[in-house]
Amino acid sequence: MLTAENLVKRYGPRRVLDGFDLTVAPGEITGLIGHNGAGKTTFVEVVTGLVRPDAGRLRVAGRDALRAGRGVRRLLGVAPQELALYNRVSVRENLRLFAGLAGLSGRRRTVEIARVLDELHLASLADRPVGALSGGQRRRVQAATAMVGSPPLLLLDEPTAGADPETRAALLAAVRTRAEAGAAVLYTTHYLPELVDLDATVALARAGRVIARGTQQELTRGLPGELAVTFDDPAEPELRLPTTDPAADLAALLASGRTPASVDVRRPGLDDLYRSLEAPVAEKDVSGKDVAGQDMEARDAAE
Amino acid sequence: MRPSESVRRIGVLIRHNLLLIRGEPGPLLSRMILPLAFLTLLRPLYAAAQGGAAGTEQAVVATLVTFSLLALSISGSAILTERLGRTWDRLRGTALHPAEILVGKAVPVFGALLAQQLLVVGFGVFVLDLRVPHPLLLLGVLLCWSCTLLALGALLGVLVRGLGELSAAYDIGGMLLSSLGGALVPLGELPRWVAVVAPVSPGYWAVHGLRAALVGDARTVAEVCGVLLAVALACGTLAVGRLRGRSGRLVAL
Repeated sequence: MLTAENLVKRYGPRRVLDGFDLTVAPGEITGLIGHNGAGKTTFVEVVTGLVRPDAGRLRVAGRDALRAGRGVRRLLGVAPQELALYNRVSVRENLRLFAGLAGLSGRRRTVEIARVLDELHLASLADRPVGALSGGQRRRVQAATAMVGSPPLLLLDEPTAGADPETRAALLAAVRTRAEAGAAVLYTTHYLPELVDLDATVALARAGRVIARGTQQELTRGLPGELAVTFDDPAEPELRLPTTDPAADLAALLASGRTPASVDVRRPGLDDLYRSLEAPVAEKDVSGKDVAGQDMEARDAAE
Repeated sequence: MRPSESVRRIGVLIRHNLLLIRGEPGPLLSRMILPLAFLTLLRPLYAAAQGGAAGTEQAVVATLVTFSLLALSISGSAILTERLGRTWDRLRGTALHPAEILVGKAVPVFGALLAQQLLVVGFGVFVLDLRVPHPLLLLGVLLCWSCTLLALGALLGVLVRGLGELSAAYDIGGMLLSSLGGALVPLGELPRWVAVVAPVSPGYWAVHGLRAALVGDARTVAEVCGVLLAVALACGTLAVGRLRGRSGRLVAL
């Protein structure tokens, strides 16, 4: 459904996207993770048609999204990172606008709006102005405006940022339902347990490119887990060993003559994967000059 | 894409924008009511200075031009609030063509601007005995003037960075352009240099056109309408250009 190849976007000397590759298949939820400035939001803006890349290719449903922009945008449901809603009008009217722009009218529109309201637990709030809602409720409304009309490609940019547990649960359930119905979902987040809940494929972005992509099992394989060992002797402190081979490390421990009281093996998870991104990387400008340390505001100044 | 789809999408936007205006009616109501109060108070002054009929005409033209320039706030804030609320980019992320967004935004605002002017003229005709022997000429000027105001307001809406700046711009700009154009005080009564620079103000052309329409001077009305539409085109083009330059985001149209 979505294929990005070697996308490049520069703001002044900074390469915000630097050879960004990503694919998302129908029915697949792809969690795009990475630290701030990794290029996640810029990528979403490129797909949405709000930012033009300097190089690279982008296809949506087999069509060149950089040429057939409007035709492709009909297939998208977008929930940007920042809330962007009409606060003075009701939840229902916000949905009515986006449903209308998605091509729905009359009874089909009414039914679809009711379905999305139910799905995101918004039915009781439907006739209240968006400005009167809590932050979490607005997050759900924003996601609802992306989902109304059942677009085949959903772009959800940190949809649960600052959200309460109810919002998070409702959103994740709705995302799962959409993917099961065949939608391709690109989901950016810093909340890694959400990706576990969604059983999402994971793409790791760093310095403007995707450096790894695969299932959670594939990506965490080979990362060190942890062996936590306590001993009978209270004078002996708990031991925490990073390990890629718990059995061998435990055998080595036993061979050393020490007697564990308990052994706990923690498998590597997405948190470990995320932490592995923290090693500094030198960012290069187009001439190869190091520009590390330049913050994202530089791109606005460069515009 | 089929034209019918485009019309349908624009219809959806127009309905939505009417809803937004209805949701915050205060600014529009004040732009409708204040001119009538101003006109009622001002007319005796002009009538004393210029005589009954001429005074009424001057009072109506002065009020219409001054308050329609102050109503730049309506078109300016229609765009600025979309920018501030980030909904502008949200709309651009849909299948909407930028021209469809602008039309959907412009139609309700244009209607509001025209309604304000028709209200002032109607008040003049039915309450103050203003004579309008050539209503079609007058309507032509009002339509062109509304286009100019729409585009000027749109330009303001993309140039300013906040509601405070917008408020200052239309308050100062509106009074300056209407005064410079000879709306409030006839140019003959002002220092000579004002008459020399007056044509740079769109207000001057509006005053000129309205007076010509009231006396049935079709040739001058046509000339004025041409100038007003040219100003509208220039401002509209600058506004779109500024939107492109600001974000580089008008892509894949």
